Amino acid sequence: MSAVIEGKSGFRSWLNKRLPVDQFMADQLTGYYAPKNFNVWYFFGSLALLVFVMQIVTGIFVTMHFKPGETTAWDSVQVMVREVPYMWLIQPMHAIGASFFFVVVYLHMARAMMYGSYKAPRELLWVIGMLIYLALMAEAFMGYVLPFGNMSYWGAQVIINLFGTIPGIGEALTEWIRGDYGIGDATLNRFFSLHVIALPFIIALLVLLHLVALRQVGSNNPDGIEIKEKLGADGKPLDGIPFHPYYTLKDIVGVGLFLTLFAIVVFFVPTFGGLFMEAPNFEPANPVSTPEHIAPVWYFTPYYAILRAVPDQRTGALLMAISVLAFVFLPWLDRAKNKSIRYRGLASKLLLGVFFITFVVLMWLGLKPAEGTYVLLARIFTALYFLFFILLPFVSRADGNGPVPERVTYHAH
Amino acid sequence: MSDYAADDAVPEVDESRRKFLIAATAGTGAVGAVLTAVPFVASWNPSESARAAGLPTEVDLSRMEPGQMTTHFWRKKQIYVVRRTPEMLASLNSHDDKLKDPKSDESNQPAYAKNETRAIRPEILVLIGTCTHLGCLPKTRFTPGDAAVMANWPGGFFCPCHGSKFDLAGRVFEGSPASLNLAVPPYAFEGDNRLIVGVDVAPEKGAA
Amino acid sequence: MPTKFASVATAFALVLGAGAVFANEGGHAGWQREADNEVANLPSLQRGARNFLAYCSGCHSLRFMRYSRLAQDLKIPDDQRDKYLVRPGDKFTDYIRSSMPAKDANEWFGRAPPDLSLVARSRGADWLFNFLTTFYADPTSRQTGVNNLTLPGTAMPHVLASVQGVPNAVWRNVETAGPEGKPMTTREFEKFEPGVTGSLSPEQYDEFVRDTVNFLQYVGDPTQLEREGLGIWVVLFLLVFTGIAYLLKKEYWKDVR
Repeated sequence: MSAVIEGKSGFRSWLNKRLPVDQFMADQLTGYYAPKNFNVWYFFGSLALLVFVMQIVTGIFVTMHFKPGETTAWDSVQVMVREVPYMWLIQPMHAIGASFFFVVVYLHMARAMMYGSYKAPRELLWVIGMLIYLALMAEAFMGYVLPFGNMSYWGAQVIINLFGTIPGIGEALTEWIRGDYGIGDATLNRFFSLHVIALPFIIALLVLLHLVALRQVGSNNPDGIEIKEKLGADGKPLDGIPFHPYYTLKDIVGVGLFLTLFAIVVFFVPTFGGLFMEAPNFEPANPVSTPEHIAPVWYFTPYYAILRAVPDQRTGALLMAISVLAFVFLPWLDRAKNKSIRYRGLASKLLLGVFFITFVVLMWLGLKPAEGTYVLLARIFTALYFLFFILLPFVSRADGNGPVPERVTYHAH
Repeated sequence: MSDYAADDAVPEVDESRRKFLIAATAGTGAVGAVLTAVPFVASWNPSESARAAGLPTEVDLSRMEPGQMTTHFWRKKQIYVVRRTPEMLASLNSHDDKLKDPKSDESNQPAYAKNETRAIRPEILVLIGTCTHLGCLPKTRFTPGDAAVMANWPGGFFCPCHGSKFDLAGRVFEGSPASLNLAVPPYAFEGDNRLIVGVDVAPEKGAA
Repeated sequence: MPTKFASVATAFALVLGAGAVFANEGGHAGWQREADNEVANLPSLQRGARNFLAYCSGCHSLRFMRYSRLAQDLKIPDDQRDKYLVRPGDKFTDYIRSSMPAKDANEWFGRAPPDLSLVARSRGADWLFNFLTTFYADPTSRQTGVNNLTLPGTAMPHVLASVQGVPNAVWRNVETAGPEGKPMTTREFEKFEPGVTGSLSPEQYDEFVRDTVNFLQYVGDPTQLEREGLGIWVVLFLLVFTGIAYLLKKEYWKDVR
């Protein structure tokens, strides 16, 4: 250990006697070997961290001007974007950043599903990730209520009423959540506190655990084979490369591309056709006027479509809850020996492919009114959605056991 | 050895190109980081609401009695306006040797208030009512001879926080923790009976 | 590598395109038109501001827009601002308020005329354009004597009648399938016909409305031009940065075989 610190300049040596800075860098960056065959799907973890930091920074500044309160919230947002220097840029960054967070997170989860990154020994890593996802959904929901536009109000109304479907305690529970007989000051202020302090802390802690768990077991890779099983003479994985400089530098390129896309949206198409900043929310909350189509923001709509597909409210709510939680059980539903979709049969590939398409179609359906053919389509795709989880144990056991390569497949790039 | 330094022909590592590219990336990144910080830092500047609220304040002098002081607000600061009596004005001449800054060389006031009475019109005194020590509100002690304040007290202001004393032109006395005279804000007269705090020249009639 | 660039470009296109697909597609009835306004057209915005303050601000406030901000953005000199824009009694830094007390408005119209600061963002410029150009004479409307194709049953009178006049609507009967498949006759809008004329021709009136809608679009998002101007530089900078970072990455990844 001292070999790392000796010979360094005075300050560095002073610092390292008191904080294991160099040791940490050596262990976690230059000494951490990650598989060399990461492809584009592997950008989204670090991008998720980037968006998290971005949301915190923009959020800190938005909070400086936001006035939580039934009569002040809406006005404070309008005044801030028109009158405080540069808040016309920072506040939309925060609102749009939320959508980008979910784009990144969904792609990150898709990667895990394609390459079996949730399988042993990474089950807990996946579960912690699911906890982050759930916390993120709560955080986004509450954040959306804060500006107290008309969609904020009615979206909150619908989602909180879902809790009313729980037998027995439902009514009392919704009143407890709201803190009042209807959505108003009490609800807004508590959502403010949770959104600004409680949930960010919880998410930060979960992210830390997520990273520690990852470090513990090491990264998976697109071929799904464990690189630690083939070590070289120096004790390092033959198919591994130091995270620093290779993946630090590669991730910087990913960050650059991501920020470019983010900037294009923020500066040129901020509402993104009403997907990122919804038209009804440009009107203040009006308890006597419901928007024509109440829909949550796009990242919740797959589950919303499932909710509406069932004609009975209680069953719909239950199915919606199950549809979110089903992901948690993937490590145990998936019975294949092989992790990666690359080394599973056609049936597995079709099953997963259909699931991804189903998810996107449900997302689209959730944005549409629940009328006409959309209703039938929603029911069909809801069935397909659950069919994935039901069939997975059987299909994976059947065609996920073929031969896998000894070494990862890598093409220089 | 890990396989990444392979067995087939290894091209020479071009260290100088690497150093250059690292510098280029780090340099561009640093510029980007600074530029990104600009909107966030700038957002702390007073907003348009603050600037609208900070517009000049109008003061009506028509009902002020001689010897009376009225208080007003301008840009979140207390403004003292005193209609000084001839006796008050006379008291200003007698104690230059007891003042830290008798000619207001160090203190803050517009050019037109850097005179003996620290005012445009001698009978109207306009001061920012903030003690130049640490910002408390000085209290009035206009009665001359008030021995509780000081021996040979000519009349003026007394700050309760740490005991700074100022005369009837806001000039600070020796022995006070404050070192500067009370500041004079920009102000201008509009006609005989109106005073506008916050501008050096009264705006034309018709404009706001 | 050409294929790598192609995949990145495709990814960008897909994301932006997905947005277009998912985003709201408005249904267009035959008579609906597009506003076709240009927020960068400063004279149009100035005319729109004049129109709004002359005809609309009696009832509709713009409670988040200050006269001072308006004059600054639209490059209106201070003296003209104070003479033509600022409501008598208001300061030039005040927000644009309407003259109508909300309580009276509720009594007279059934609801208070809404504030219009954000109407261009919640309804859209096209909707506003159609709303202002589809008033027609309706003898059955006892309150105002007019009705509106875009917002049938609106409580708003045709404030711009002096400018547009009041067109008549021509209806035709169509056979449609009613309940249980039985044929039924419904009334469908066919076209407008000139009725009472106003001071402007139809083309001039369209321009008048276009300017006003343009102004409202500016009010809804006053910084959009500044935002787009800054955006070009930001995107360019990011592309340059990404390019340099990419060269750095390639250089180091030569090590990896």
